[in-house]
Amino acid sequence: MIRVTIRSLLAHKWRLVTTSIAIVLAIAFLSGTQILGGILDDSIRGLIGNVYSGYDSVVRSPDVQEAAFGEFRAPISAEAVVDSSGVEGARLAYGVVESANIQLIGKDGKVTGGGIGPPTLVMNWIDDPMRPGTLADGRGPTANDEIAIDFKGAEEQGWELGESIEIATQEGAEQYTIVGFVGLGDEANKTAGAQPVFFTDEVARSTAKLGDQYNYVAVSAKDGVSQDELASQLAEANPDLQVLTGEAFTEENQDAVAQFVGILTSVVSIFGFIALVVSTFIIYNTFSIIVAQRTRETALLRAIGARRRQVILSTLVEALIVGLVASVVGLVLGALLASALVTLLSSFFSLETGIPSIGASVIVNSLLVGLVVTTLSAIIPAIRSSRIPPIAALSEVSLDKSGMSWSRRVWGLVFLFAGIALTALGLTSTLKPELYYVGAGLLAILISVAVVLGPLLARPAAMTIAWPFGNRRGNVTAVLASENAARNPRRTAATAAALTVGVTLVSVIAVLATSVKSSVDDEIQGAFGGVDLIVSAGNFSFLGIPSEVSDSADEIDGVDIVSPVGFTFMRILDESLESESDTGAEEPAEDDVPVIGIPDDAPSGEDVVSNAIDPDTYFRIVDMGDLQGDPETLGSESLIARQSVAEDNGWDIGDTIPVYFAATGTQNLTLGLTYTDALGPGDDFYLPLETMRPNSLPGFDIDFADYIKLDNDADRDAVVAELDALVADRPDVTVQDREEFIESQTEFIDVFVNIVYALLALAVIIALIGIANTLSLSVMERTKEFGLLRAVGMSRGQLRRTIRLEAVIVAVFGTVLGIVIGIAFAAALSSALAAGEPGLVTFKLPWTQLAVIVVLAAFAGVVAAIIPARRAANMDVLAAIATD
Amino acid sequence: MAAAGAIGARKTYGEGDTAVQALDGITVNFERARFTAIMGPSGSGKSTLMHCLAGLDQLSEGRVFVGDTFLDSLSDSQLTELRRDQIGFVFQSYNLIPTLSAAENITLPMDLAGRKPDKEWVDRIVDTVHLSDRLSHRPSELSGGQQQRVAIARALASQPEIVFADEPTGNLDSRSGSEILQFMRGAVDNLGQTIVMVTHDPGAAAYAHRVVFLADGKIVHELSNPTADVVLDTMKYLGD
Ligand SMILES: Nc1ncnc2c1ncn2[C@@H]1O[C@H](COP(=O)(O)OP(=O)(O)OP(=O)(O)O)[C@@H](O)[C@H]1O
Ligand SMILES: [Mg+2]
Repeated sequence: MIRVTIRSLLAHKWRLVTTSIAIVLAIAFLSGTQILGGILDDSIRGLIGNVYSGYDSVVRSPDVQEAAFGEFRAPISAEAVVDSSGVEGARLAYGVVESANIQLIGKDGKVTGGGIGPPTLVMNWIDDPMRPGTLADGRGPTANDEIAIDFKGAEEQGWELGESIEIATQEGAEQYTIVGFVGLGDEANKTAGAQPVFFTDEVARSTAKLGDQYNYVAVSAKDGVSQDELASQLAEANPDLQVLTGEAFTEENQDAVAQFVGILTSVVSIFGFIALVVSTFIIYNTFSIIVAQRTRETALLRAIGARRRQVILSTLVEALIVGLVASVVGLVLGALLASALVTLLSSFFSLETGIPSIGASVIVNSLLVGLVVTTLSAIIPAIRSSRIPPIAALSEVSLDKSGMSWSRRVWGLVFLFAGIALTALGLTSTLKPELYYVGAGLLAILISVAVVLGPLLARPAAMTIAWPFGNRRGNVTAVLASENAARNPRRTAATAAALTVGVTLVSVIAVLATSVKSSVDDEIQGAFGGVDLIVSAGNFSFLGIPSEVSDSADEIDGVDIVSPVGFTFMRILDESLESESDTGAEEPAEDDVPVIGIPDDAPSGEDVVSNAIDPDTYFRIVDMGDLQGDPETLGSESLIARQSVAEDNGWDIGDTIPVYFAATGTQNLTLGLTYTDALGPGDDFYLPLETMRPNSLPGFDIDFADYIKLDNDADRDAVVAELDALVADRPDVTVQDREEFIESQTEFIDVFVNIVYALLALAVIIALIGIANTLSLSVMERTKEFGLLRAVGMSRGQLRRTIRLEAVIVAVFGTVLGIVIGIAFAAALSSALAAGEPGLVTFKLPWTQLAVIVVLAAFAGVVAAIIPARRAANMDVLAAIATD
Repeated sequence: MAAAGAIGARKTYGEGDTAVQALDGITVNFERARFTAIMGPSGSGKSTLMHCLAGLDQLSEGRVFVGDTFLDSLSDSQLTELRRDQIGFVFQSYNLIPTLSAAENITLPMDLAGRKPDKEWVDRIVDTVHLSDRLSHRPSELSGGQQQRVAIARALASQPEIVFADEPTGNLDSRSGSEILQFMRGAVDNLGQTIVMVTHDPGAAAYAHRVVFLADGKIVHELSNPTADVVLDTMKYLGD
């Protein structure tokens, strides 16, 4: 029996290849991601180890503010450097400046890396090997207009030693002379992603707005003093500060990056698993077809005495071999993929290139997943083949009638309702973790619609899709194509389902992205109706814009109102939050990342980002709905809150609300104003700039934008030109009108959507290979029929057209199913979101985009049909007729 | 005037020692509005001759023509059009497209050509083959005899120059067989159709106006207005 299997496999080598491709690609993607993740993790740990290898201990502030996009630790006073260098085991204490608020201006006059490249770090030079970074060339800065910079960044920009470059800071651009190049590692030949720029201590501190403070103090030990000894001596000398060993500090940094890499790897892996699900459909389908085509052979085997078990086994062994071959090839391909990506990434930071080492776990995972998925997909076809009665050896292959059965309808509905129920449960988040329920629900709905109910839909769908091509209206190729697509409903449905998976996700993303974008558009148009121009430094900049811009802008002819806006991090203390509030303060601990180093006696509460505004001007140009309280009364100790938040917590105008700032500790603010509408759903708190500035961490006391309203008769272009001139020395600052601003606010959505599309492309490509594969097998099955058609006068072109149209029908069927399910899902998701945060998402369908997807699918069907169509058209008519 | 014919037709399969002379210099004419039967032992070249005449296969030597067209001068797509418009074909089995209804199968060549079928003519043929109440059925819902009648209706529906039938009754019981044969003869006598039929059955050959006997790729004998007995006798005589 095994021999029969192997003979059959060898006799159909090509089929083996096409069947495997799906699994090969999925495994390659998965293993590639894992291998790459491993390499990144190793490399980054190595690099960070190198960066901080000179630190034996670190002394820093225990106060950490957690914000949406990272942690901000309070700086410590320069006295700590003196205190630390005084301890017995210390050789040298180094007050470190490590801050990210500058931008390098390249030779083209633009910010290097477009402002979103590797972060540029302000650091202070110390003439000792303990500093991060080894001198590769030149020397460290000694004068205040000198800098030493990362050699890799300089290489990219073509900067030479002695060259003068421009650096944008909050105060404007300044010229510095490059006197040294720095790298990592012993040979100074590595780079870590961030671009350090070393200034003199004085310039570094003023640029980072640290005053007489440092971000932290690094201490190097005397020979023979261990890190632990040094640390305990330092802890004694700095009782109010946090002390940790160099090793612990390095590990903390390594873990932070590793955690990020880990999350990235698992997120990307999700798309590998999606591809795997798609492959399941294709393998299931291929084996179903193979089994159907082998009906006579199997029946003959049964007639001469093969047991059912043997028949099942022979199919499973075939699957096992396919799975094994595919997983191995996929693994190799994944390793190649990873090493190619590493080469690509190594232009950003130093990585181990060359043949990657593959961990045993990756190998085991890949082989296991490949084998299990392939074998499981083949089980149903295998069982079906064992049910073939010996008598079938004598009969013609009958048409597939499975589309009609009642049990199919019942099961389809059961799955459908189970899926809807699971999804609903997940979305109303009464169950945790919600995403698993939503995912399982989606899968159940997909299985129901595509696999169970799909065969019922195949015929009507085929007839409808073929209609525009002249089905039943005299175009015989359309008739044949639609009939062919409808003749094996199960096969058509399973083939289409593979595509449905990818398209469902694409449509969910497309619909949600459009909905979010249109609601952002609506909101900004509505709230910012009075704002004509926005001056800002971009979404990712901590530089902000020069504070004098708002004053100067006010002078410009045609400008009516200028309103500067800033932001700050703060903690609303628990004591003022109602226990049943929905602001998330009472979320279970699992969601809270423990904040390192916050003293035990620091008051607990909810960390928020608050906008800071100028009450005199802001409310005149920005519509925040119904206001309660008087903007006039807002002063240096005022708080502004969303009305619903105030109500939930039982706050009234005039109440005192304690708020904790990293820089200044707990402050008692007075609730002076409430509003009903704000731009972002998270924008629950505002502060007057007057309140924000004194409580801000150094470097964060900035205007991140100026909102400008023009006079009715203002010459807009002239004003824009004058504003541009105002910020001419800050190439990173832009002047936008409302439309441009909206676009810049929604830009990231497009970026995100495109990345997701790119990752989903794999699943879609695998599905298309599936269509091609199924079609090839079907064409072989219909050889005799095609021969007859050719004999009675069908031209090669007509035959090709018939097969192409069949592919188009399958592709469009799968796509439309996907779009329908996708829209339903997006609707469910957005209504769930809307229940939690009204106004976050207004549901909107991107009709043109969805239409484009359908057209693309039709086109992809044509492409998938190229090889099968050519094969059918080129076959010899006589031989085809003679085929059994 | 002949509807089709072959001049010095030779067909060789394979090369060298293993070469088979399937057709060994055949010259034959098939007159218009005549029903011709081709007989001969298995492997004598009957099917090969028909395939070459119908443009499904190419001769090694010699020429074949249909109407006033010599097939050797035609390209593949011209041959396809010729088969579609001027030739009807009936095979021994598997004649119909399983996904199309009987009616669709009958008009298939005209649909492929994008031509409107001559409704009156098609109705007449459908009537003659007693298929009026079966038109919407799929081939799988028809008996073998009915399937062959549909195939013949298809072959005749486009009013081709000539119809080739390769053992059209080979798989049928004698009653359905004779029904088919009667119908074919009727199509020739009443509709002026030209039919060439390959058969092993002397009874079937008796329906023809003329019988041509092949052996080893050559024409070895001819009969006009044969009866079954005469055909049988001739077969015995040739067999010795
Ligand atoms: N494709 C082919 N390759 C090689 N030889 C062939 C091929 N087709 C036919 N032949 C040979 O050509 C000769 C004529 O075959 P043909 O099919 O025309 O015979 P036939 O008279 O139709 O026989 P039957 O009554 O069995 O149908 C035979 O010897 C056959 O073996
Ligand atoms: Mg024959």
